Amino acid sequence: MGGLSLNIMKNIYLVPLILTIFSLSVIAIALQLDTSPEMIVGESMQARSFPIFLMILKLILIGVMTYQFYKNNPKPVTLEKYHTWGSMFLFLLFYLLTVYTDMFIGIFVVIFLMSILWGERRIWVAFLTATVTPGLVFLLFDYVLKIRFPRGILMNLYYG
Amino acid sequence: MFEQAISAMASVVVDPYLLGLIFATTILGVIIGVLPGLGATTGAALLLPFTLTMDPVHAIAVLATIYVSATFAGSITAILINTPGTSAAAATTFDGYPLAQKGEAGRALGIAVISSTVGGIFSVIILCFAAPLLARVAYEFRSPEYFALTVFGLSMLASISAGGAVKNLIGGIFGVWLSTIGAERVTGIERFMFGNYELYEGLHFVPIFIGLFAISELLVQSKTVNKIINTVTMKAVKLPTLEDYKKIWKTILRSCGIGTFIGVLPAEGATVASMIGYSEARRWSKNKKEFGKGAIEGIAGAEAANNAATGGAMVPTMVLGIPGSGTTAIILVGLMVHGLRPGVYLFTEQVEKVYQIFGSMFVANVMFMLMGLYAAKLFARVSLVPTQILWPIVFALSVIGAYAFQGQLLDVWLALIFGVIGYFARRHGFSVAPIAVGLILGEMVETNLQHSLKMYDGAWWMILAQPLALMFLVFAFLGLCGPMIYSWITKQKD
Repeated sequence: MGGLSLNIMKNIYLVPLILTIFSLSVIAIALQLDTSPEMIVGESMQARSFPIFLMILKLILIGVMTYQFYKNNPKPVTLEKYHTWGSMFLFLLFYLLTVYTDMFIGIFVVIFLMSILWGERRIWVAFLTATVTPGLVFLLFDYVLKIRFPRGILMNLYYG
Repeated sequence: MFEQAISAMASVVVDPYLLGLIFATTILGVIIGVLPGLGATTGAALLLPFTLTMDPVHAIAVLATIYVSATFAGSITAILINTPGTSAAAATTFDGYPLAQKGEAGRALGIAVISSTVGGIFSVIILCFAAPLLARVAYEFRSPEYFALTVFGLSMLASISAGGAVKNLIGGIFGVWLSTIGAERVTGIERFMFGNYELYEGLHFVPIFIGLFAISELLVQSKTVNKIINTVTMKAVKLPTLEDYKKIWKTILRSCGIGTFIGVLPAEGATVASMIGYSEARRWSKNKKEFGKGAIEGIAGAEAANNAATGGAMVPTMVLGIPGSGTTAIILVGLMVHGLRPGVYLFTEQVEKVYQIFGSMFVANVMFMLMGLYAAKLFARVSLVPTQILWPIVFALSVIGAYAFQGQLLDVWLALIFGVIGYFARRHGFSVAPIAVGLILGEMVETNLQHSLKMYDGAWWMILAQPLALMFLVFAFLGLCGPMIYSWITKQKD
């Protein structure tokens, strides 16, 4: 099963397939959009027309691209290293930490874990980077650029 | 007008704050340029949120300085570690690194610095003269002409950066579609918002660009973890000798012209310019066999062209609102965020600001020359910053930069989502620059098409009856189909 899913991911026709599904979905959604009265639009376009036109154009180009793939038979793409998937997972972790705790806790955790994931063996260096970077960035944005950050555990303590 | 322009440009030199800002940004730009993967576009995307609270001239000066200095700095690592800091310096590796391996790294860098400076200054001078002239022509443009011009700009995406023509066009169309998200401007009908009212005014460029350029680059760099870099040692940068100048002056001049012209073309940029500059240097050289083994003409040809493209690319950006490259797309966003509407208006109502920006670019070229000559060795060491430290810092700057734009967490999530989209697009050979340019041009193309249709009561073919519009559409057609027609004709002849 794992082998089958890997083969599917390596398949060169996966990209045209995803793009086709996306384009058809956009057309389907666009067809559900409201229409404006004639007196507003006049001889111009309805709101749905332009996106539908774009997607038809895109479908034509996807057809050309698929034909090129068929003719040239490009090499399948290599699968990601665990660093890449891990980094994407850290984005998800950042989202959860920001929503449920604090944005700066999220940044600290992600920087620390990303450094380790990408091969930093000195824990203290990763910790220092994770502490100093958000600290400096916070000072810069808060004092110099006067940005108010979203409330969370740390920001509630800071803003009161 | 001329006197006003000169005094505005001169005012840059007597403004200590602006000079300091350009100096600091040049250092930052050179650091960004030498760090493989960061580059001018990513650097400008990361810096854009920092410029939000600045005066418009200062903000654009910062972005333009990053553009010119990072474009030059890519050559430092291209020569010393065979890794172009920016894609625009890729052609510099062909001869720069072999020359460095021969023990002449200082000479190679000296030639790169001088060629880049001449190219950059030449293009700024052209920019000063060409931009107002083009603005005068653009004064005659109405909706049909603007529509045709944006179609031409979009057609040029076929040849932008990496990726094939078809993939670039698909990316461009995706970008244009992104611009349709939000309330439609004429009727107010909500499109693709899925009940999310924060998207009512459409997707904002800043978080999307941070995602497409910075976050996607972070994911790309995650593949290069543990890569071993071979460095070449260098004592000091050497200025070219009289003999060198005799050998390269024609190449530099030719590349200045090529680079500026390529830069002016909508959606073309420094990378294409440097490649053409290099190949033309080789074509016209008497020592073709030296190319690839350390020919100084090769370095001069590529470097003069890529920096000449920076000024050239600013012409369509500031006059027509059509970005000449990924970085100018960000500069264009910077102009719009600061209320400087690109176009004729900018050259009639905001002349002083425009020439202050041009003056800043001029000063930035001189500053990176001094830094290149006296501190290249130091900057080269920056490229050895471990990726496991650098890119987590880029992550922090990206998410906070995306948030700072409007103070909305939605922008942070959008930056991350578009980072992942951009990564997968790049992984499959699509470039992200067409998506960014498409997003910018999308509103322009739809609005002008709507206006044109209203003007002619739905008779779209009337657009073709406008000479300028027809000219742009013919150019667009030739740009898209020209290579195919040419190859068909060549086949028939054979």
